[in-house]
Amino acid sequence: MPRDDFQQSLADLRAEVLSMGDLVADRLDRALTALQTVDEAAARAVIEGDDAVDRRYLELESTCIQLIAQQQPVAGDLRVVVASFKILTDLERVADLAVNLAQYTLEADRQRFEQVDLSTIGDLAGEMFDDAMTAYRTDDAALCREVAARDDELDSLCQRSSERVVRELIEGEAGGDDAWTVERLLDDVSRLLLIVRDLERVGDHAVNVAARTLYMIESDPELV
Amino acid sequence: MSDSQQTQTQNRTRTETTGNDQPLETTSGETVEEARAEWTEYDFRGNAKMVAEDLDVYYGDDHALKGVSMEIPEESVTALIGPSGCGKSTYLRCLNRMNDRISAARVDGSVQFDGKEIYQDGINLVELRKRVGMVFQSPNPFPKSIRDNISYGPRKHGDIDTGLLARLLGRDDSDAERKLVERALKQAALWDEVHDRLDDNALGLSGGQQQRLCIARCLSVDPEVILMDEPASALDPIATAKIEDLIDDLSEEYTVVIVTHNMQQAARISDQTAVFLTGGELVEYDETDKIFENPESQRVEDYITGKFG
Repeated sequence: MPRDDFQQSLADLRAEVLSMGDLVADRLDRALTALQTVDEAAARAVIEGDDAVDRRYLELESTCIQLIAQQQPVAGDLRVVVASFKILTDLERVADLAVNLAQYTLEADRQRFEQVDLSTIGDLAGEMFDDAMTAYRTDDAALCREVAARDDELDSLCQRSSERVVRELIEGEAGGDDAWTVERLLDDVSRLLLIVRDLERVGDHAVNVAARTLYMIESDPELV
Repeated sequence: MSDSQQTQTQNRTRTETTGNDQPLETTSGETVEEARAEWTEYDFRGNAKMVAEDLDVYYGDDHALKGVSMEIPEESVTALIGPSGCGKSTYLRCLNRMNDRISAARVDGSVQFDGKEIYQDGINLVELRKRVGMVFQSPNPFPKSIRDNISYGPRKHGDIDTGLLARLLGRDDSDAERKLVERALKQAALWDEVHDRLDDNALGLSGGQQQRLCIARCLSVDPEVILMDEPASALDPIATAKIEDLIDDLSEEYTVVIVTHNMQQAARISDQTAVFLTGGELVEYDETDKIFENPESQRVEDYITGKFG
């Protein structure tokens, strides 16, 4: 029956989005671990695996477009499709950010600025992402709001870390005298600041997922 | 503007028990009182053109419409949707007393048009149906020329006079008729297609053109409300699109109430949507955006998403 098929398609779409969410969470986790353990092979695997995420993204985007065109969903069905459609974009971006982390592992000199605790920032962002996907899986409106509330904590942690790097740079403690060292240092600092910003962006995407999920569950645009 | 119109900016929609001691059971087994909990207040901007209060319709023993109260905002498009037999066409026909023509039909309750009760003795039905016009599912032009289809109504109402006697008495309104035919056909977006063959028989037009001719015919007598009962259901997508564009244009000047089985059509063209469900109840009435994005009633959600029945 076409209507039953449509309901099955909606269930399949959600399952596929969750599966892509698992894949992205795994990439993020591997990238963070690679960074902590300076595991270049693992970092390269994350980078090389990104094409698969992109392919998955395009497939699921196409599924959403087909459902809209052929089934013209309304009400709760419509909200599932459009929320999933938006969430897919966030998943793809988080995977891109995992690639950035992996690149950083390959290129950065982690001996410097060791005191910047990327692990804690990464764990916090990763947990937000995992919880947002759990909210999507379980229709948990309270968890959506809770994920969004946690973003301030992540933002301030990232801001403190960035300030610390800049302050140390100004104070010259981490610096060197010759031109080569200065250039290398600038490179490292820029990369580090970008990585902090990327992790903060992972949190933002987690909030986006929570916001679209809340819209899907309650038609509430509060977090959007 | 009458006082009653002024007060009608606060509107609500509800159905009620019909005076029996036993509460009515809805199709889902809940009582109407219980079901009422899911209904929402609907406050629209502007004035109510028509107001139905506690409207019940019976066809013999069949209780076709159950205590419907609903207000129709002026100069807008109100869509009535619901499964077959839900009472939406019955409700539509109450708005210009077309149910009077069905001998077994009995109507209880009130319908006001511009604050005036239409279910009262002495109401002029010809005048009512002139001001509250109707367009039907199947195009039904008269087997006359295109021109005569338009001018028939105004002639009958005495608004124009083009007969022999009129000419003899110097009261020939041929020029007025020409203008009226042109205006009505232009309003119905048909003029460009037929202006050079106004004396051709209307039955030679395509289905979509015939339906627009029927709309032009309805407009020729200067109605204020246009009731449409599935006006595009017999038309192809292109003719349907033309009718929908036309309805959109008309709503700037007229109050349009449309019954449609096509949910996407209701979503596209209406400002507010009323959902009737089997058993003759009005279950939810709200802005169209709200109905199709986040209806209050689970039964309405189930109906519009196709999970109903």
